[in-house]
Amino acid sequence: MKKCKRLSKCQKRLVLTQYGFILPQLILFVGLTIVPFFVAIPILFTDMSRFNDPQINPVGFRNFTALFTDPSVQRDYLPALQRTVVFVVLNYSTVYIFGLSLALLMYEVGFRGGFFTIVYLPLMVSGLAVGYMAVMLFAKATGTANLLLLQLGLIRKAFDIYSPQGTAFILPLLVGWRYAGYNMAIFLSGLLSISEETIEAAVVDGANYLQRLWRIYFPQMIPSFIIATTMCLIGSFAVFDELVAMGALYVNPEAKLLSILFFTYGFQVERLALGMTLAVETFLPLVVLGIALQRLQRHLQY
Amino acid sequence: MTNWPKFGKPQFSNAHQITLRKRKQALRLFALLVMLLYTVFTLFPFYTLFVRSFVSTKDAAELHLWIPKADEVRLEQEVGNLSVFYNLDLTDMKKALGIPTTDFLMSRTTLREIAEEYNIPEEDIEEYFADFYTFNGWLTLLKGPEFWNALLRTLVITALSLVGIITLSIFTGYGLAGLKRKDQMFIYNIYLLQMVIPSMLILLPQYLLIQWIMRLIPGYDTQGPARWVLQLIGLVLINIKGTALSTMIFTSAIGAIPKDLEDSAMIDGTTHWQYLRHILLPLLKVPIVSLVVIQLPLIYNQFLEPYVYLDPGNTTLLPFIQSTVGQFSTNFQVIYAAIFASVVPLVLIYFMFRRFFVEGALAGAVKG
Repeated sequence: MKKCKRLSKCQKRLVLTQYGFILPQLILFVGLTIVPFFVAIPILFTDMSRFNDPQINPVGFRNFTALFTDPSVQRDYLPALQRTVVFVVLNYSTVYIFGLSLALLMYEVGFRGGFFTIVYLPLMVSGLAVGYMAVMLFAKATGTANLLLLQLGLIRKAFDIYSPQGTAFILPLLVGWRYAGYNMAIFLSGLLSISEETIEAAVVDGANYLQRLWRIYFPQMIPSFIIATTMCLIGSFAVFDELVAMGALYVNPEAKLLSILFFTYGFQVERLALGMTLAVETFLPLVVLGIALQRLQRHLQY
Repeated sequence: MTNWPKFGKPQFSNAHQITLRKRKQALRLFALLVMLLYTVFTLFPFYTLFVRSFVSTKDAAELHLWIPKADEVRLEQEVGNLSVFYNLDLTDMKKALGIPTTDFLMSRTTLREIAEEYNIPEEDIEEYFADFYTFNGWLTLLKGPEFWNALLRTLVITALSLVGIITLSIFTGYGLAGLKRKDQMFIYNIYLLQMVIPSMLILLPQYLLIQWIMRLIPGYDTQGPARWVLQLIGLVLINIKGTALSTMIFTSAIGAIPKDLEDSAMIDGTTHWQYLRHILLPLLKVPIVSLVVIQLPLIYNQFLEPYVYLDPGNTTLLPFIQSTVGQFSTNFQVIYAAIFASVVPLVLIYFMFRRFFVEGALAGAVKG
């Protein structure tokens, strides 16, 4: 009550108007992003099998322990987890192979708008299209890239997008291709924020390029690294459209990553509550990690 | 370059300078080469997609770097094969060749047999099937109204979502800019959660929640325009719920505008609405453009949400393509034509407004 006294009536009304402007979007955001989280909690303890399940029984913690006790779940989950981890690791390395190296190149030779336009172009392509491009380029008998590389004599055997290794390596390559411009922009803006004096001083003192990278560039680009890491981690675990295009929902079991598993549990095989629980068990640690990374980044910026 | 000042910069010998210059030239050459290679790497899939949309399934096992001259359809071809592998529209063919539409053609019937049975000159059949293999994908895709309807729905949803998210985000930014820093950060932190919550985590409960709410509205449970409109509205609402980036862009842009401007406008008797519309909006061109170029590809290329929330007959471009694929899974020519058609509009817009996209990308990267 004391606080209210200090604010004049006019000020109070002003604050109310401000909240009036904030609320429409905030209600939508909270209603569609955070409320579902809490709606889900009671369902995790039931055997709800599909969205209009007429009979829902409580099952205690069975959904949570299924991952460790139910062999049918393990058969689905563990390979999907393995594929996802492989994908995340390889996809994360493309952040550096494409994004960071292109940004460094651009920084050394000066900003080229034309080249930036080209590198950023794949971001206009949908994930679905990227998946179909992967099939188009690397299908075993008909892939254009396969046929071209075979004819040039660069490879002996055609890649096969539907084989375990094929999916594991080709998918990150194309996802990396798509996000190269995005990651380059993140790193480039980090590089451009380094003050030129420190670089000049290092050059004058005789530091070679690698020394400059390690001691001058990278330490000052840590916020960029954190942003790129957060975006890549969250994005890689949620990769979905590309996999659908590669036939993950029906014909191609090698493209069944975790996101596909949760989707099929919810929409196809009537294991809704179980799918939700598995999603929470998988993603909750990631959300915590993401929040920690955000905190770290803000801590470094101020 | 040769005349260094006597102090300040270290003295290099002439030879050293020459090696430095040479090294710089070598670096430039190397960089140029890498850029060239990477450009080829980036553009190759686009080019291949274009070419492959004209390469029929039977020619797909050979390398084609340009649209191939396809064979003519031979008269020994069976109708069944053509309709299964090349989506030949039998009703359309019967109409064009003057075969009664009620007649049933056995799938093993060859084109020559048809010519003999119905007394059709073979030239007519050849003419009907001219370039059938080359344009098969495009003809199948563009034949019916479904593709155009899906494209139209995509454009409408994209436009509505963009207008919606800009309007709501400006409101949010305006509201937040007037708050104390502590309250500002509290609300901004809520929006920051968007960046760390994967869409897959909330998909199932979000779907459940939206279904519950939609069921309360009469007309949703029966197929029909009311249900479709509701579904489209639901999708737009998901798209305009705001992101960390949209909140940050407008809060910082509006926060940077001097408070005196608002005060003097208020003293002159403007309302909040008038101030927003006539004074703030013209000042926010740059952040609006940034948000549009970042959100446009995300909304236009959305697949998961329309796939889940919209009925198959009421869907946007990408889910439509995916369902077309399920139908024609043996005819990849149609798929590549469809994917190419879905990519083209955005690529055109991108090249027309490339300056804004590049600026937006860099501005967005700074803010994360």
